[in-house]
Amino acid sequence: MRDVAIVGCGMTRFGRLEPSLLELMTISSLRALDDAGLDKVDAIYVANMGSITLNKQSLIASALADSLGMVPVHAETIQNGTASGGSAIKNAVLAIASGLYDTILVTGGEKMRVTTDRVLTDFISTMSHFEAEYIHGITLPALAAMFARLYMRKFGVKQEHLAMVAIKNHENALKNPYAHIQQKISLEGILLRPESRLNNPIISSPLRLYDCCPTSDGAASIILCSVEKAREFSDTPIMISGFGQATEVHAVHEREDPIVLKALKLASEQAFKMAKVSPNDIDVAELHDAFTILEIAESEDAGFFKKGEGHKALEEGRTQIGGDMPINPSGGLKARGHPVGATGVAQAIEIVWQLRGDAGKRQVEGAEIGFSCNFGGFGTNVLAFVYRRGD
Amino acid sequence: MKGVFAFRCRGCGKVYFPKRMICLNCRGREFEEVELGKECRLLTYTELYATPLSIERRPLILGIVEFEDGTRLSGQIKAEKVEIGMKLRPVWDKTRIVGFQELYGFVFEPVA
Repeated sequence: MRDVAIVGCGMTRFGRLEPSLLELMTISSLRALDDAGLDKVDAIYVANMGSITLNKQSLIASALADSLGMVPVHAETIQNGTASGGSAIKNAVLAIASGLYDTILVTGGEKMRVTTDRVLTDFISTMSHFEAEYIHGITLPALAAMFARLYMRKFGVKQEHLAMVAIKNHENALKNPYAHIQQKISLEGILLRPESRLNNPIISSPLRLYDCCPTSDGAASIILCSVEKAREFSDTPIMISGFGQATEVHAVHEREDPIVLKALKLASEQAFKMAKVSPNDIDVAELHDAFTILEIAESEDAGFFKKGEGHKALEEGRTQIGGDMPINPSGGLKARGHPVGATGVAQAIEIVWQLRGDAGKRQVEGAEIGFSCNFGGFGTNVLAFVYRRGD
Repeated sequence: MKGVFAFRCRGCGKVYFPKRMICLNCRGREFEEVELGKECRLLTYTELYATPLSIERRPLILGIVEFEDGTRLSGQIKAEKVEIGMKLRPVWDKTRIVGFQELYGFVFEPVA
């Protein structure tokens, strides 16, 4: 197997955007191609979840190949729920490692703000177990809320801790020009003052509005190639030195321990093992904080902190950009936004920028090894990656 | 469709609802219909205000319950007040409408 590197990155801003899904994907793809100095690749992998449901466009990878003027390039769409981005990257790594392709463009994109919140909630809920969860009206916020209630009781995590995740990630996003949410928030404003009940209403108790990520439009692209070729395109290629993936029992209530993110744990262990590093070696991580509680739980199940101690690390500021284990310097899903198909790719881009030293005001000083994990469903299909500088 | 039933693996006795084709525990493929226990306990819950389409009553209370034999289910909790550990019983009822289809499943109400 050949080693694989990321040699180009590009994304659109995330938010409520004018361009169509295909235009967004074309823009981010061109930015990544320009970053690598390439105008052709051997294959295009598109990560997307909703083009058929929300945008009336199937065969989106082919549409992108055409839009980029790259036909007859190989192209396909990878749909793995909210983990589509991670899945597309993993499959690109495999394809390059096999020796069949030398260069691949991975583009994740989503155009969600074309319909109402209730339709979007329903769209996301289709990731749940149809007979055991969906038909009862269970949504992803509801699953996260039931998880949070159990988790908070067991480990003494308070509403304030959840708010601290949101405050940190909003603060980081202010330093990220690509972030959807550009808003400074405070504990007083979202939790302590009486009017916070209006500003920050309960979505699914105990989770409030500011515990949930927004729904966003946006696209993100990376160019992958073999390590031998990487020098042709980049002075600072970033190697994907390990990856892992695991699935979990679909219905949350059937899981062995409903507050352990087992698939995340397994995927992370595989990634660390392949990269021959331990969680202690990671300088910066992008976690899948679709809900604030998830950042805390993932920081433990990925191995950065002991189970039940993630909220203490958060409280001590260890997960801030200046801390010893910075998490979600980009703002995470919470504040960079969550155009579902784009998220896994945007996480990889943030780590590449951090390891290249190109992360501007949110730069984690001296970062050399990074980590990201991308969730499909409620921890139902999880991908984890370890990245390191290739120089 | 009515009745308080579940599916027990003939190999190891593990009980499932909804039906599975392969037992997660012993990989057995044969199941028999059994009565779901009469009483269960609430493990965790949420009051959902951002309800899905077709459910206009807010909040919608959703929970995970556990029966004495360890079988767990998710569903709607039809109670005014909820607390972890409260005793509930399953009843078969309409859960929501998807498209033009009325869907049914177990919902849980307090044991008087």
